[in-house]
Amino acid sequence: MSAKMNSKRRSAVQSVLLPVAFGGVLITAWQTGLLHKLLNTDEYVLPYPTRILTIISENTDKIMENVWASLEVALLGLLFGSVIGYLIAVFAASFRKLGSGGLTIVSSFNAIPIVALAPVIINWTKDVSPQADVRSMVAKIVIVTIVCMASMSVNAYRGLTELPAFSQDLMKTYGAGKLTEFRKLRLPNSIPYIFTALRVSVPVSIISALVSEYFAEYVIGVGRQIRENILIAQYSTAWAYILVACVIGIAMYAILIAAEAIVLKKRR
Amino acid sequence: MKLVRKITNSKLFFTFIWIAALIIVWEIFAYQVEQTKRTPENVLPHLSGVVDSITSDKKINGSQTAFQMVMENAGATLSRAAIGYVIGIALGFILALIMSLSGIVEKVVFPYLMLIQIIPILGMAPIINAITKDIAVSRIVIAAILTFYPVAANTLAGFKAVRRESHELMYSYSASKFQLYTKMMIPSCIPYFFTGLKISAPMAITASILVDTLQGGLGLGCLLSQSLKGAMTRYVFWDIVFFSAIIGILSFYFIGIIEKLLCPYKKLEQKGR
Repeated sequence: MSAKMNSKRRSAVQSVLLPVAFGGVLITAWQTGLLHKLLNTDEYVLPYPTRILTIISENTDKIMENVWASLEVALLGLLFGSVIGYLIAVFAASFRKLGSGGLTIVSSFNAIPIVALAPVIINWTKDVSPQADVRSMVAKIVIVTIVCMASMSVNAYRGLTELPAFSQDLMKTYGAGKLTEFRKLRLPNSIPYIFTALRVSVPVSIISALVSEYFAEYVIGVGRQIRENILIAQYSTAWAYILVACVIGIAMYAILIAAEAIVLKKRR
Repeated sequence: MKLVRKITNSKLFFTFIWIAALIIVWEIFAYQVEQTKRTPENVLPHLSGVVDSITSDKKINGSQTAFQMVMENAGATLSRAAIGYVIGIALGFILALIMSLSGIVEKVVFPYLMLIQIIPILGMAPIINAITKDIAVSRIVIAAILTFYPVAANTLAGFKAVRRESHELMYSYSASKFQLYTKMMIPSCIPYFFTGLKISAPMAITASILVDTLQGGLGLGCLLSQSLKGAMTRYVFWDIVFFSAIIGILSFYFIGIIEKLLCPYKKLEQKGR
């Protein structure tokens, strides 16, 4: 028994230590210039980690301003997209035949490249506001909303329709109406599926926020800064923003996982 | 009568209803825009105008029609996307195989696979372009990176989904590791493998077009930004938007068709129904 416990513990320690060690090796290779030789590049295009960190610490205010701009777009788009996506799923689950056809259309929106979508939406939202910063913001949020809608509607639809065996019959024997059935059975059943959808759409919301910034009129946001700094050959600053973008991505995903653990644990 | 009912009951029929509804809404807005804007084709052109621009034989840059131009640029972009896609698939599959064979490699690599999934790779496109110094190469690299992780993660999930009983059966046959993989593990992970392919096909195309916009030269994305800046008729922009949307959607279904052709289990499933 204790031998088994030991091996289990050793395995758990391994699964933390090994990746960390690998990361350590990678960063060392980067800092010592080995990585530059491998990628056949110089420390100008690929600056040392210490240099990137220095730049972040020197420009914290400006970087944070861009981080908030990108986060606002990603989070609001994620929120609107998820809510609309869920409503579409509810509609599709209530009118099965008409709805599932509509769902096919919505999910095919997902395959439209953001690069094609972004300029179109920016065109359409030109009249929203006379201020460039406001209308760029609206355009970016709409883009993220559309991109996030699909995964939520498809997954929520599954959650609303793939019910445990006999649960619908049980509801019928209770004499529950449509609304009660929705509230007591379908809605709770769809919650794990909502998290499945969010696991896809949280990273996607950030990526589409960054890419939509490329096309926006008003120059702000982490994605736009990466591009602008490369255009003026400020590679170290661009790397600082890349690092920040990665941190945003990881942090948002970690928050999601934590929220999922809390919510789903309560249900059990 | 029976046929009519069969048609109106099918899912495809309702999809067509939705497409028709979308087209009607588009046209209504296009009409509205036509009344109020000085250059309606910049905001929302009639669909007939877009079709016209594709079929017309008017040369727009002296030597090519709009259609030829879009096709030539699409060839440059999509061929790179395809190369990157194939490289990404190969690497993803091999990595999944190695991870399945060696627990240590899985432990080292898998967290990083998750990490690639949640960091915005597309945001790194400009820097990859700067490192590779060649736009064609960077298209391939980014398409490969984006293809790589869905394929690797899904294939690994496929290896893990093999039932314990199957393993025990192979053990009782005293199958070698090679036989275990060629006879059981690889065939049973194929559906998962194709899920990975379906997810990543539109991503590879998006990435490739995005990289185009970073630099001049031949490519859909480059043509897109040129026509947005007004270097040529705005209809080229709409042609590209529709073309890339259709290609993105078709790529998803195309992989599904390949899966159906290659995999007997799909036919079996359908017969079973």
